[in-house]
Amino acid sequence: MEIVFDASTLILLAKIDLLRELTGGVKVIIPEKVKTECLSKTGIDAMLISILIRENKIEVKKVENSEAIKKIQRDFRIETGEAEAICLAKTLGCPLAVDDGPTIKASKVMGLRFTTAVHFLLNLVSQNRLELPIALAKLEKLSNYGRYSRAIIEDAMKRLRGGE
Amino acid sequence: MGVISLRLKERELKRLDELSKLERKDRSTTARELLEYGWEFLMVKHYKEGKLSLEGLAKKLDISISEAIDRLSELGIEAPIEFEDYLRGFKAF
Repeated sequence: MEIVFDASTLILLAKIDLLRELTGGVKVIIPEKVKTECLSKTGIDAMLISILIRENKIEVKKVENSEAIKKIQRDFRIETGEAEAICLAKTLGCPLAVDDGPTIKASKVMGLRFTTAVHFLLNLVSQNRLELPIALAKLEKLSNYGRYSRAIIEDAMKRLRGGE
Repeated sequence: MGVISLRLKERELKRLDELSKLERKDRSTTARELLEYGWEFLMVKHYKEGKLSLEGLAKKLDISISEAIDRLSELGIEAPIEFEDYLRGFKAF
């Protein structure tokens, strides 16, 4: 399955150390601007993303349509990386992984399927690729970095424990 | 560094003096720091209200997106992602 990633979800998954596991089952695609943003400062997450790009586990694609990108930025008050990710997902006809409110709103208006970091965690468990105790620890970390609402975390916890 | 002159209310001057005394810093340094804090507070508020994206926030604060995530996490600022959007997110798979 191909999914275009915005910097928000990519960095969150790197921060909770789940990005490598994820690339085993999902083809991760990012626009060039997202790559630049993720690697703009040194750190563990930037290092991991850089290694995964070198290993071809994250594919970097150029987004050509600069007019469309500018229009998306103007219409939804989002920045270049976020607009490039939307544009690329739309062009490739695949979902967008995003953990940013305004970019999610833009995706909805543009009829784009979207998902967030917490969904990848739940998906890995449902595919038996992540054990429950580890998943629970990752969910705690993700709730800290991802800052999801209590309702989202409680539901995710319920799904993990109950296997819904 | 640029120089500006501005009128402050008595209350604001009192606060500036109080803080510079507390922090043992001169008035100019304290005023600059307050501007910095005020700017960050306002930008985080805009982010919280969904007026600013994460990338936008990072840009305004002159930090990376990773650092913006860390900063928001430290401040305990909830991500503006609605429960309904979360439920929709399952449909992507």
